[in-house]
Amino acid sequence: MIVAENVTKRYGSKTAVDGVSFTVRPGTVTGFLGPNGAGKSTTMRMIVGLDAPTSGRVEVNGSQYGQLRSPLTEVGVLLDAKAVHTGRSARDHLRAMAATHGIPNRRVDEVIALTGLDAVARKRAGKFSLGMGQRLGIAAALLGDPRTLILDEPVNGLDPEGVRWVRDLVRHLAAEGRTVLLSSHLMSEMSQTADHLIVLGRGRVLADASLTDLVHAWTTSTVAVRTPQASDLVAAIAGPDVTVADPGDGTLLVTGISAPAIGDIARDHDIALHELTPRTGSLEEAYMALTEQSVEYKTKDIA
Amino acid sequence: MTAQLTAPTAGTTSSPYRLSFARVVRSEFIKLLTLRSTWWSLGITAVLTIGIALMIAGASRGFEGGYPAVMAIVSPMQFTMLVAGILGAIAITGEYSTGMIRSTFAAVPSRGTVLLAKALVVAVVLAVTTLLTSVIAVAATAPIVSDSPIDWADAAQSTIPLLMSILAMVTFAFIGLGFGFLIRNGAGAIAATVGLLFVLPIVFNMFVMAGDGWQWIVEAGKYLPMSGAQVATAPGGDDVLRGALTLVAWPAALLVGAWGVLRTRDA
Repeated sequence: MIVAENVTKRYGSKTAVDGVSFTVRPGTVTGFLGPNGAGKSTTMRMIVGLDAPTSGRVEVNGSQYGQLRSPLTEVGVLLDAKAVHTGRSARDHLRAMAATHGIPNRRVDEVIALTGLDAVARKRAGKFSLGMGQRLGIAAALLGDPRTLILDEPVNGLDPEGVRWVRDLVRHLAAEGRTVLLSSHLMSEMSQTADHLIVLGRGRVLADASLTDLVHAWTTSTVAVRTPQASDLVAAIAGPDVTVADPGDGTLLVTGISAPAIGDIARDHDIALHELTPRTGSLEEAYMALTEQSVEYKTKDIA
Repeated sequence: MTAQLTAPTAGTTSSPYRLSFARVVRSEFIKLLTLRSTWWSLGITAVLTIGIALMIAGASRGFEGGYPAVMAIVSPMQFTMLVAGILGAIAITGEYSTGMIRSTFAAVPSRGTVLLAKALVVAVVLAVTTLLTSVIAVAATAPIVSDSPIDWADAAQSTIPLLMSILAMVTFAFIGLGFGFLIRNGAGAIAATVGLLFVLPIVFNMFVMAGDGWQWIVEAGKYLPMSGAQVATAPGGDDVLRGALTLVAWPAALLVGAWGVLRTRDA
């Protein structure tokens, strides 16, 4: 369980995190979303006591991080794949981390095997690819078999097999009752992994909702309809909330009325339907709509 | 599912793994001894100490009488002090430059503990290395200085200078470590360390030839770490205690300062 209460972080005159409050609950995967510079990494660093909040408080499992007597068994954290001395081998890095808590080398070898690092465990971490570095960071996060996991962009640089492995791993950890906070910019990946989402923009919480609620609230569901009697159908379903777009490829895109309702009306009016497909919005669409105003580093559209 | 849910929630009390100072020290030992740069530094220290001791011992046979044989063992410190300082500096700046420091502080949120453990490990490693290389240097130079060997019956001519040279090497490493924690950048910390250990004594000494009005600068120069080391290791010297205090005060001040900054600074 992670609880942030009205947390603010300023670096000089720049406010990175601005009065953020949220709760990350056990047993679910909570996705942490937001554009670059939204304050995700800063918030994660404050959770584990690396940065001190300017005001407000953050607690993990009921304590401030600095008060935990065994941080590694309470919280496993991957902040970035580069939190490793480049001159030390992966195994020595994990051994040094484990030693602080008296975690035996047996566990070190376990997490090495679990993350698929056996072949390179004795190589210096500086020679690792981005993906290998991510695996090492995840191995370090798992060392203490922690109740809470904080993973900042864990799939960054991983191959498709690795991406899938991380997805299965975090789903499994949450199913065991652990708390998982996960950030990523890959919306399709996030929509397959997270149950709950916290969206930050310009240091504020823009949304804190379940995946389904978020997508429903921020996207419009459309229904794709194909019929040889298009004009009849458009007239029949007309209403104050209903809009019909005709992209010209024979498919009508209808919003403001559900697919079953369209089907019923078509039957009542003796209109033949060749296709009736509800299309729900994607997390990506919801995210774009939600963060449109708060993207800090905006790109220009290519004309 | 319910059974699985209960397991991790019991973690706070049931896990046998928790932080302790001894464990953090062990971790810091693993960290320092698993870096090649450490072994390079220690190897260079050993080679310089033994090699220069042999050269001084050889040359001392031509010196006018009364050159204490133990001087051949402690004098190479003027060169190895920089290696000790650099070792201390990179023991921490290497963590900052690579980002390792975030892993360190995530595992051990109490930064004072990290600083103390690191200092202890650096001290032990330097002390053991200096002790071993001194023993080897004593044995290696013994045949050369057999005319006037080290007078082991007189502590002031033997064990005290040797012990003081161990203290001095630890001090030099602590100065590097302290600057490393304060400055965080490897090049900056090494520059500061070299400046304090090597450059400042030269600057202060330039005023020896100046008038009486400038003598306070020369006087202040006696409290630099290098002067402290020279005084503390001087066989039969009068100011051994003052030298030893100088050697303790510098790292104490730097490390306390580092701790003050470290407590509140974002990692």
